[in-house]
Amino acid sequence: MSIEDMTGQGVTITQTGEHGAFGGELLTINFGPHHPSTHGVLRLIVDLDGEQVKRVKPIIGYLHTGIEKQMEALRWQQGVVCTDRHDYLSPPINNLAYALAVERLMGVEVPPRAQALRVIMSELTRLSSHLVWLGTSGIELGAMSVLMYCFRERDTIMDMNEEISGFRMHTSYIRPGGVMADATPRFFDLLGKFLHEMPGHIDEYEDLLTMNPIWRARTIGIGRLAPEVAKVVGASGPMIRGSGIAWDLRKVMPYSGYENYDFEVATNDGCDCYARYLVRIKEMREAVKILEQAVDRLPDGPINVDDRKMLPPPREELETSMEAVIHHFKLFTEGYSVPPGDVYVAVESGRGENGCYISSDGTHKPRRVKFRSASFVNLQALERMALDHMVADLVAIIGTADTVLGDVDR
Amino acid sequence: MIADQLITDKGNSAGDEWITVPAPRLREALAALKEDGYRLLVFLTCVDHLADSSREWPARFEVLYELRDMEKLRDLRVRAFVDGDPPQIDSVHDLFPPANWDERETYDLFGVVFNGHPELTRILMPDDWVGHPLRRDYPVGGEPVEFSEEHETWQTPPPEA
Repeated sequence: MSIEDMTGQGVTITQTGEHGAFGGELLTINFGPHHPSTHGVLRLIVDLDGEQVKRVKPIIGYLHTGIEKQMEALRWQQGVVCTDRHDYLSPPINNLAYALAVERLMGVEVPPRAQALRVIMSELTRLSSHLVWLGTSGIELGAMSVLMYCFRERDTIMDMNEEISGFRMHTSYIRPGGVMADATPRFFDLLGKFLHEMPGHIDEYEDLLTMNPIWRARTIGIGRLAPEVAKVVGASGPMIRGSGIAWDLRKVMPYSGYENYDFEVATNDGCDCYARYLVRIKEMREAVKILEQAVDRLPDGPINVDDRKMLPPPREELETSMEAVIHHFKLFTEGYSVPPGDVYVAVESGRGENGCYISSDGTHKPRRVKFRSASFVNLQALERMALDHMVADLVAIIGTADTVLGDVDR
Repeated sequence: MIADQLITDKGNSAGDEWITVPAPRLREALAALKEDGYRLLVFLTCVDHLADSSREWPARFEVLYELRDMEKLRDLRVRAFVDGDPPQIDSVHDLFPPANWDERETYDLFGVVFNGHPELTRILMPDDWVGHPLRRDYPVGGEPVEFSEEHETWQTPPPEA
């Protein structure tokens, strides 16, 4: 069978009366959308031969919120709040994709301190996203206690989000033109303490899972995704790195100064659920490494571009300068306009390539914003991975694919 | 190599290379580009240029394909312009597997029909939805918001003492 045949899609629902290998009738069942182990509201129509999965057809759209349509009605600077909310486990990384796209079209580059703060927030988000993944996947496969440990550390990340942006989840911290505010000394205190403790905590998770016989039995050899298939179906993130391909956008197409940091791309040749688990654990360790370097070398200087047509003037200037008042008025009544053209910027989120395509017609609102979400593309590989596995393994496979349904449906 | 007569226009938008190909020969062009090394379709989408005065557009709908060469690390955007009711273009789901869901999404939200797609049904909106929401002439909709100056019209009167 060629790769094209293996990935050719268009699944049809079983006709009643079709027989499986053991002589029994194929059974069509609904999995979700309200099943707790589907990571949200994913619905699968599964054909079973006994307990073996023969066909999987994902039905999505239960969480469609029309974010792309809404952004066409918002001004460029207002659109940031929408980017927070489609992949709700990694808001700053989505902010970054949108901000980089707008900045590329406008031809501005943010100062080094803003770039470093963006890297810090991105890596903290990657950690918190992987922690949620690890905790919930653990619960799904019967390791109840992992969630408690993971959410303990995630909560300190939430505290840091709150300290730096005032918001715990949807931070809107990274904006076109820079970042929202400079980091406070307390933020660096929290971060320093966190970075000191985190490697030990990652060891704790590994103690619970890596050599755990039940965890290994449930994940090793389950949900195989061959490297050549992973490439063809467009998988990205831990899905493609778990198949042994060192494809990480932070390394191959660096953005926001990632080329200045020393880190390894986590890969594993296992191609199965266990390999994806090991890749994510390694990525958490690398994220800590990047954070340490970023804090050490954080440059001084401004955190926003010096462009009054794009960002409001400081408060004290408003009292003395007429021009500042005009800029302030124009920005908050009309917003800025972006030159006509279109651009696509991709960043590496916890799930893979999350990109933002924007098309501008020269006005103060976008003509089109499209989010390329890793979850949407990775989910298409689900059937390839689940074929001939038991129905219980389907839970492990959905878990390690790490789809966020808000990101799939947008 | 892609033949020169397939490229009707090309350029660079903020650092992104792009070419325009005639919509009826899209499959031919994408197959040639795939041979050329662009083996991954990153995404596929559509832009509705209704009432866009910033430029002269050849047609209302622009279907675009972002291709990537993972060996040489280069991206290429391929544009094709389509008009008509419904606008139609050939499906490329057999050349690039990720196009399958993307084409369904573009059909769902823009009403672009992809000829040859095995299962062109709605993917994000409910099956019985009317209209294609991301078209520019589709209203945003929403609930009316009552403001305080219209207070009398919605406030329930206090119970009689």
